[in-house]
Amino acid sequence: MRILAVEDEPRLLRSLAKALREEGYAVDTADAGDDGLYKAENSDYDAVVLDVMLPRLDGWEVLDRLRKKKPTPVLMLTARDAPQDRVRGLDTGADDYLVKPFDLPELLARLRALIRRSAGQARPRLELGDVLIDTRARAVTRAGEPVTLTAREYAILEYLALHRGEVVTRTGLYEHLFDENDDTLSNLVDVHIFSIRKKLGAELIVTRRGQGYCIAH
Amino acid sequence: MIKPPQSIRWRFVLWLAFLLICILTGFGFTAYQLHRTNRFDQLDDDLERRVNALSIELRTPPNLSGRRGDMSPGMRPPPREPPPDWPAPRGGPPRDFGPGQSAAPGFGFEINEVRLSKETLSLFDEREADGFYYVLWSRDDGSVLKHSTNAPTVVSQPERPGRDTGTRTRTRGTFREAFHYTERGNCILAGRSIVAELQATRRFAAWLAVSGLGVLAFGVGISWWLASRALRPVSEISAAATRISAGNLSERINVANTDNELGQLANTLNSTFARLEGAFAQQKQFTADASHELRTPLAVLISESQTTLARERTAAEYRSTVEGCLATAQQMRQLTESLLQLARLDAGREDLRREKFDLAASVRKCVARVHPLAKDKGITTQTTLGASECVGDADRLAQVVTNLLTNAIQYNRPGGEVRVNLETREGVVVLTVADNGPGIHAQDMPRVFERFFRADKARSTGGNGLGLAISKAIVEAHGGTIDAASADGSGATFIVRLPILQGG
Repeated sequence: MRILAVEDEPRLLRSLAKALREEGYAVDTADAGDDGLYKAENSDYDAVVLDVMLPRLDGWEVLDRLRKKKPTPVLMLTARDAPQDRVRGLDTGADDYLVKPFDLPELLARLRALIRRSAGQARPRLELGDVLIDTRARAVTRAGEPVTLTAREYAILEYLALHRGEVVTRTGLYEHLFDENDDTLSNLVDVHIFSIRKKLGAELIVTRRGQGYCIAH
Repeated sequence: MIKPPQSIRWRFVLWLAFLLICILTGFGFTAYQLHRTNRFDQLDDDLERRVNALSIELRTPPNLSGRRGDMSPGMRPPPREPPPDWPAPRGGPPRDFGPGQSAAPGFGFEINEVRLSKETLSLFDEREADGFYYVLWSRDDGSVLKHSTNAPTVVSQPERPGRDTGTRTRTRGTFREAFHYTERGNCILAGRSIVAELQATRRFAAWLAVSGLGVLAFGVGISWWLASRALRPVSEISAAATRISAGNLSERINVANTDNELGQLANTLNSTFARLEGAFAQQKQFTADASHELRTPLAVLISESQTTLARERTAAEYRSTVEGCLATAQQMRQLTESLLQLARLDAGREDLRREKFDLAASVRKCVARVHPLAKDKGITTQTTLGASECVGDADRLAQVVTNLLTNAIQYNRPGGEVRVNLETREGVVVLTVADNGPGIHAQDMPRVFERFFRADKARSTGGNGLGLAISKAIVEAHGGTIDAASADGSGATFIVRLPILQGG
């Protein structure tokens, strides 16, 4: 999962990015409105965390312009908690709204829900035959037995599971799993897939030659 | 007890109705009296004329003697008509002429004794019951000498008022009568029924009442319409004020006519509402900004702590987190202090000392204090300080100077220059702090002293956006002014003017 965080308070941006990375997300950051809009328009993020008070282009404007191009889920972050501000945020096209100072666990939970919903999955537990993914605990079991996956392996599995039935290209997978500062080689994805198959069975993830990977319905 | 209506319109209409009623009553009463007097005066004249005619007849010799033919021709007035043909007394029940006035036995004869001329008789139309009638009493026994056939059954002989021979009038029931005693003491009375007069007066009174009521109704209607019309702007103002007090501060009173008093009132209220709206908007903006500025560092504290606590960290990571939290907390402390200071200055509760001090020395200290910051950005400082004895709070004014210097350094270009000039001109201490950085945009100019206003909106420049607002408040608390000037691209200049004597 790749997330864009747009926030002008440097310390908050740093700690937010850190927390998100530790949750296994690939995180891009921007500290101004125009910068954030550029990134959001030119990459496929699974979610955007967007502050309202931003230099150069404020959050409302960024959201408004982004909505003309992309349906990327957006969680607005603001210090204004007047009801009309919330209404305005949701009406402009924000998918969720969080008032500063927020609780980190709440922010993470809302982000998870946002990503799930945008992938068309409402429930937090994903079932793939005997493999069960608990997106809340980021834990995977196979036939009731817990399976230990690395953060990257889990991220790949969750992304494919959320987009079940779709073929995800290797580049697409790469883009959603590694942030702008990552310069890992893209064939690393193959290595992770191989590792997941070893732990959860070879038939779970299907390779479509020349196209990418897919978890069947 | 019914409470009088409080509405101005009702009061206006009621007062007007009261006034109208008074006027109409007075007018109606006068008109009634005039009409009545007029009617009766005429009747009295008529009666008097008849009494006089009778009196003249009675006093002519044939009558005075009471015997026909006794009259010597010389005593008669010349164009004497031939003796009238006295009508025979008509039949009918014997008349009762009041107590003590009963008809004498020789009644019929007596009547024949009094001869009245045709001319005089024509004044009395005896065929009409309501016409003029006459009664003559003899001076001797008070018996009726003669009376017209249409005289009412009961006619009392009027009292003789002394020796007076003038003609008097009286109203007896529905009859008006004029009487007169001759010098000899005979009594002559002419009368007429006044039923017609009474009816006419009554009709006139009724007509007066009806038209009075009509005028009253019309007047009340007109006054109601006028009051409504005059008060319509008031109800519009009231409705608008109600909407405004319900929270819609952008509402305005629709002023159609600005020339009259209500239009002026509406204009005054509108400008008051506009000022109120501005003040409210400013207050709202300030509260929102303050809450934003306080919530952001809180968000940093919470998210930083929660991220760090999510898992085990190395000692270095903990240290860095704590340092970050400390810096954030200090930023919050500074902001809180600034907000409190502003609040105290707003309320006029900041205790400002009034002491004599040398502002030049103070400025020098401030320049020294910001020197490290200037050095970091490679900025040079030039000072021209004339001796400036000043009265006020040295610490607070030093805060202003430091604020201006810090701004001049922060918003300067690298390697730029800050010029500080201090002089005393005409009893005013003038402090000028100028930089040659990018300056202030013309559209930002009116807002630079606004609370939380930041020209670049980015937090990276540091500061909480309250520095200039606090400086302005402090300078104004000293009775001075602070102004900003800037030509785009050639730096900004801040000028502080303080009156030299503070009277303290």
